[in-house]
Amino acid sequence: MLEQYQISAPILHNQQLHGDYYQLDITAPAIARAAQPGQFIHVQLPAMPDHVLRRPFSIYDVNPTDGRLSIIYKVVGKGTEHISVLKPGTKLDILGPLGRGFSPLPGDIPSVIAAGGYGCAATFLLAKRARVLPTVLLGGRSAGDILLQDAYESLGCQVLVATDDGSAGAKGLVTELLERVLYEAPNSWIAACGPTPMLKAVGMIAESRKLNAEISLDRVMCCGMGACFACVIKRKANTPEKWAYARACSDGPVFKANDIWWD
Amino acid sequence: MADLSINFAGIAMRNPVVTASGAFGYAKEYSNVVPLNRLGAVTVKGVSPFPSHGNPVPRTTEVYGGMLNAIGLQNPGIDKFISDENYLPYLRQVPCPVFVNIWGKTIEHYAEVAARLEAEKKGIAALEINISCPNIKEGGIAFGTDLKLAAAVVKAVRDVTTLPLITKLSPNVTHIGDFARSVVDAGSDAISLINTLPSMAIDIETRSFRIANRIAGLSGPGLKPVAVRMVFQAREAVTVPILGMGGIYSAADAIEFLMAGANAVAIGTAIFSNPGCLVEIIDGIDAWLDRHGIANVNNIVGVMHQAQA
Repeated sequence: MLEQYQISAPILHNQQLHGDYYQLDITAPAIARAAQPGQFIHVQLPAMPDHVLRRPFSIYDVNPTDGRLSIIYKVVGKGTEHISVLKPGTKLDILGPLGRGFSPLPGDIPSVIAAGGYGCAATFLLAKRARVLPTVLLGGRSAGDILLQDAYESLGCQVLVATDDGSAGAKGLVTELLERVLYEAPNSWIAACGPTPMLKAVGMIAESRKLNAEISLDRVMCCGMGACFACVIKRKANTPEKWAYARACSDGPVFKANDIWWD
Repeated sequence: MADLSINFAGIAMRNPVVTASGAFGYAKEYSNVVPLNRLGAVTVKGVSPFPSHGNPVPRTTEVYGGMLNAIGLQNPGIDKFISDENYLPYLRQVPCPVFVNIWGKTIEHYAEVAARLEAEKKGIAALEINISCPNIKEGGIAFGTDLKLAAAVVKAVRDVTTLPLITKLSPNVTHIGDFARSVVDAGSDAISLINTLPSMAIDIETRSFRIANRIAGLSGPGLKPVAVRMVFQAREAVTVPILGMGGIYSAADAIEFLMAGANAVAIGTAIFSNPGCLVEIIDGIDAWLDRHGIANVNNIVGVMHQAQA
């Protein structure tokens, strides 16, 4: 059985990284110890009883020793705006660790992580726990959307950056970087997190090259536990339609790219 | 420690707090964070004779004081429900009574799924007949808003099973008492209400519906006063046990329903907000009864119907 907990977790730090991006550190020992790369926590908005739904956040980093758990978030609406002004010491009601995460990166072939925007938070633990360090590709609209480059470099990863406007790294898409890396290391294992169009493109690249790719899909979630079937995605299945809905929260959020039925 | 135990349509329950259908999956999903042996009963997600994909996404959105959903009754179908270890075989191990919610697109579908469950009834305490889902194109609320159809569904199910029947009523009717009487006369042992209210939300920037199905069910705290009123009216119409629900978030909310005439209460959306609320509500009812010197939870059921000037 999966280890899952509902706990009250005090905020240690809640600070702006830049622009609309923030890092939140909490003390959540049981979750920090159980967390696997690619899993998430489900956070109740404190003092907002009229907002009934929790907000899911990928686990960015954990310290099993002192019980610290970190997430990276972007202020995109009222919920995250509210979280961004919470002070250290405030307690957050947290469910976690939830979902199925990434498989460990292989030790015998090269691997590459492709991340769009703050999707790089969901893949950080994967790189941190890798036996053979992955190449890391970070993409975003502009320089302000490139996060965690230093953190990945401090693990020893080679980091390549691409932005839509060329304000940081190469001008273009992170998937173009991926094509370039695969030209040099054609048998790579791929792990990716980011916007759905990017993940679809990663899936197409992996399929055409017969490579293993795991992607973390972001969906509007409700229960986070696999009970409500709000966050479903189409997965290939033995049905007349050739697909069936799978739950992003509990069957995912990480899926084998080749299992996804892209409309 | 007050006595919280109840007898609901012949089902012995340790307390009156039940999970609402669709909000607790098939119980296994929440078993890591909710002690199932504390619950009065669990109601599992609606089962139909056939597998159903449900509706396209987006299926849920948050609104002020609640949420909208149009899941569309996605379920594995009765065959898989009976045989797959995640469904009925698991539910048979659950340490509290299990209510199985059933639905279909035709009256025959309801009878078919009920007959299948009758043959597999070990571990099933009752069937909840869903005639009130606002989110499917055929069946659902169409049965729950027509007195004759509602009775016909219940009668068809009654004819094929000896399990206690709880018929889940729609709030989308003018006279709820008429529907309560109709389904009880047709053989329902109890009623549950209310299902969600048909609703809509629009994103004005993109001029799109927030829910792919356009129409969705409103649930959550904003629904509670409507639900309390309808439970009160249903209690005036029938004497069978009532499972009251709609926006219950606290023990105080639950007690309101009991006073209005519910014998038990179901918790739905609040589980999404806080799975821990189930135990908090059970313990809170107990504490409230103690504080008021009431020895037995049954003593507050329907008190608002007694000689109010």
